[in-house]
Amino acid sequence: MLPMRPELLKGHLDALLLAVLEPGPQHGYAVIEALRSGSGGTLDLPTGTVYPALHRLERAGLIASDWQTVGGRRRRAYHLTPAGHAALGEQRAVWDQFSTAVAAVLSARPRPAPA
Amino acid sequence: MNAPPTAGQQAGVDAYLGEVGTRLHGPRRRRARILVELRDGLDQAVADQLAAGLPAERAVRVAIARFGAPTAVADAFAAELTIAYARQTLAWFVATGPLVGIWWLLLLHPAPWRHSLIALVAAIPVIPLVAAGLAAATTTFATTGRLIRWLPEASGRRAVGAVLAVAGLVITGDVTILSVYLASDVPVSPFGVLAVAASLIRIGVSLVTVRRAATFRRRTTVPARSGTGRNPRR
Repeated sequence: MLPMRPELLKGHLDALLLAVLEPGPQHGYAVIEALRSGSGGTLDLPTGTVYPALHRLERAGLIASDWQTVGGRRRRAYHLTPAGHAALGEQRAVWDQFSTAVAAVLSARPRPAPA
Repeated sequence: MNAPPTAGQQAGVDAYLGEVGTRLHGPRRRRARILVELRDGLDQAVADQLAAGLPAERAVRVAIARFGAPTAVADAFAAELTIAYARQTLAWFVATGPLVGIWWLLLLHPAPWRHSLIALVAAIPVIPLVAAGLAAATTTFATTGRLIRWLPEASGRRAVGAVLAVAGLVITGDVTILSVYLASDVPVSPFGVLAVAASLIRIGVSLVTVRRAATFRRRTTVPARSGTGRNPRR
């Protein structure tokens, strides 16, 4: 598998995190593992650096969190807000358009020059 | 089945979180919650490694390595913590403004028959500074909160810049109003004592704020010290 540089994710991490949270509430580590496993290991970011991205999404009102006590341990679970659902829909549409355009350009191979 | 982490291995997690904790700078409660959340995640990461068949000691080391170097993790939180500090400090200035201003208003308000804004500004010349400070605080709240979905998002450095600007306006305003009062022939009254005391306290707090905010601002200019952030101690 080709290595993927973390900076390639810039601008897409928000959408990826929102998509992982779409099925239902999850705590931070589960979100990060879902990102890792859902991408077949390609999106393997340092775990500790993904939490701030979740905090920023919460600040923007796209996700919200609740503290729960599980087995005597405090755990923070995140869920999408209605604004987060709407933002995810918008970002999916943008991504579809973007990826279609990029794929069209990248897959165009030069035709051999006529003899 | 692997044994759960021993106290010694748990000490590895504690040491790692301790290293992260010393590098986090921002509101104390926010930092504490970050460390609680990281500990929960690390414990689960260790449990995952144990379930995958790694021996306990290696499970802890791999989990810590996957979290990233303490410096990288702390650097990743720096922007959020800086913005949290800026929002909290600006909220303090906005909330305490009326507690100081009310005494000056009662002391220096224009005569009852002079209702115009010009008369008010002439009597209390710091009102434009108050307006400028409120505008800076409001703009920062808007560009660091929920409105960032529609507005350009302010960076941590910019948010701290707003704190420095507001603290500067507050100090200037308080020094100005104190000078106006001391140079005037307004008789000494309980309102005057309260107003002077409130302003002096706020000047002191603002000076401390300037010092702290300047430190935050310097930190935000330091480039990230780690490339991928992977913890080399794997």
